[in-house]
Amino acid sequence: MVPPQYYLLLAAAIFCIGLFGILTRRNALLFLMSVELMLNAANINLVAFSVYWGNVTGQTLSLFTMALAAAEVAIGIGIILTLYRNFGDVDVTDAASMRW
Amino acid sequence: MTAPAAFAGLTALASPMQMGQLPDWTALAPVLILAVTGLVLLLIDSIDADTTNSALLAGVSTLGAAAALAATAWSLATGVGQDGGAITLFADALVVDGMSLFFTAIFTSVVVMVTIASYDYLRDHKHQGEFYSLVLFAASGMALMASANSLATVLVSLELASLPSYVLVAYLKENRGSVEAGLKYFLIGALSAAVFTFGISLVYAATGSLIFADIAEALSGGEFVGIAGLGVLMVAGGFAFKTASVPFHFWAPEAYEGAPAPVSAFLSSASKAAGFAVAFRVFVEAFPLATIPEGINWVLAFQILAVVTMTLGNFAAATQENVKRMLAYSSIGHAGYALIGLAALSAGGSANGNVLGASMAHLFVYGFMNTGAFLFIAMVERWGVGRTFEDYNGLATQAPVACVAMSVFMFSLAGLPPFGGFFSKYFLFFEAIENGFWWLAAIGALNSVLSLFYYSRVVRAMWFEDPSGSFELGSQPVGLYAAVMIAAVGTVLLLPGFPPVIETAQTVAGTLFA
Repeated sequence: MVPPQYYLLLAAAIFCIGLFGILTRRNALLFLMSVELMLNAANINLVAFSVYWGNVTGQTLSLFTMALAAAEVAIGIGIILTLYRNFGDVDVTDAASMRW
Repeated sequence: MTAPAAFAGLTALASPMQMGQLPDWTALAPVLILAVTGLVLLLIDSIDADTTNSALLAGVSTLGAAAALAATAWSLATGVGQDGGAITLFADALVVDGMSLFFTAIFTSVVVMVTIASYDYLRDHKHQGEFYSLVLFAASGMALMASANSLATVLVSLELASLPSYVLVAYLKENRGSVEAGLKYFLIGALSAAVFTFGISLVYAATGSLIFADIAEALSGGEFVGIAGLGVLMVAGGFAFKTASVPFHFWAPEAYEGAPAPVSAFLSSASKAAGFAVAFRVFVEAFPLATIPEGINWVLAFQILAVVTMTLGNFAAATQENVKRMLAYSSIGHAGYALIGLAALSAGGSANGNVLGASMAHLFVYGFMNTGAFLFIAMVERWGVGRTFEDYNGLATQAPVACVAMSVFMFSLAGLPPFGGFFSKYFLFFEAIENGFWWLAAIGALNSVLSLFYYSRVVRAMWFEDPSGSFELGSQPVGLYAAVMIAAVGTVLLLPGFPPVIETAQTVAGTLFA
């Protein structure tokens, strides 16, 4: 069996790739993909440690996480669509009529 | 959930309570009423998709929220979940106790005020049915958050509260400010949800469970402290987003400024309280100070967050020219005060329950005064008066009653004596001192003094300055007036009515530590 710490490392690496994407990409759709990576990193942890602890709690929660991710993307795409209609682009830095 | 656990959940639904006549699941009545009302609104909307009958839609949502509030008040009064211990449902995934009911009372009162106010605010808009149903769905998510007893239900209910909120902020889809606010709220929300989920997965990796009590037990063994500590920190980050605390606070000024004002009122009062409800329960029950390993010192993290949040919120508020944005920063400052409820806890501290209770009571009073203040802004937007302090000059000559109400909210938010906000802040700081954190109370008091400066600017502009132009206020919005008056009366009545509130809050908070 693969030792559990390898899964932790894999998950942490994917999480960091997602975080890097969020910090560097200006395209709202790529932002969504990066968030998706971070959520899937959590899923890897949940599934791997579900096996380690011998219960299915983690596996079940990972199914919930996928459903939540899908719902989040649906809402996100809707908001990005209105962004495109109002600002003519999906660049998140374009929407800056209020100061941060 | 395993198959036997799911079965246990079903039998919990079917088996009647031991002593009473009502089955256990009826303890969730407030949540169910909110959710069903949301569905009824969708039904009305699907029967008549283009309805602009705001009286029907606002009426149904207000009735639903008021019914949920009545069910909550009845449960609190008759001791559901308090006498005879907390009621747990679905294999411990949900719990109904005094604390969850107390917070549900806050959410439902805010929803009542917001839906009454939306009657006028949305009058000329299309898609009103969606608006009201989303408010009700978000509210049922918040009520579930207060009842969550497992990290899985925390995650699902938090998203149930968040997803409708993103849409509500971007509701004015042809208004650039609203869309921009919705986008920024969504981006930060999605990021913090991902961080939060990863934190949950780390806590699960370290403990092998998601139920709070089991997590606490597994953590007391002292294994995997590093992973668990990182997980706890990330979970705290998720709550910082929901409560608009540092470091995930920067969405708040944008979202509150760009969103329709009733939505700002809803988010800054109810959504913030929901974040605190779940944070209080998670940190007290799943990561209890008494048994948690040395290395996971979340009290220190919350002390830093509380001080930075209240100081940053108040200083930023003092520099604003836009009243709505000032209120947004003041709302961040108040998140800092409420964080004292967690920051002033200590292992075996004698006043732990009292500190937490005082923080809950502050959130209760805040629910009225802050909602009222944002709804006053909604009324001003409806009149077409500008958004800066100068635009408010001389407003009292045109709308004296509303301006009296706004002055009440401002002085109450600042914590001046004859209003509800005075007692709630006084008790919060007093209990923090009792529990040995005099410096937190001192920083809080200093911040309150600073806050008086910018709150009084609004009052001065309304009452003492001469109008810079002529006002054309037009019609009197009945619903907005009613909602602002309910909030004002609530804020004033919470002065004589504060003792029962603080008593209830401290009793139900005390049971968390028992």
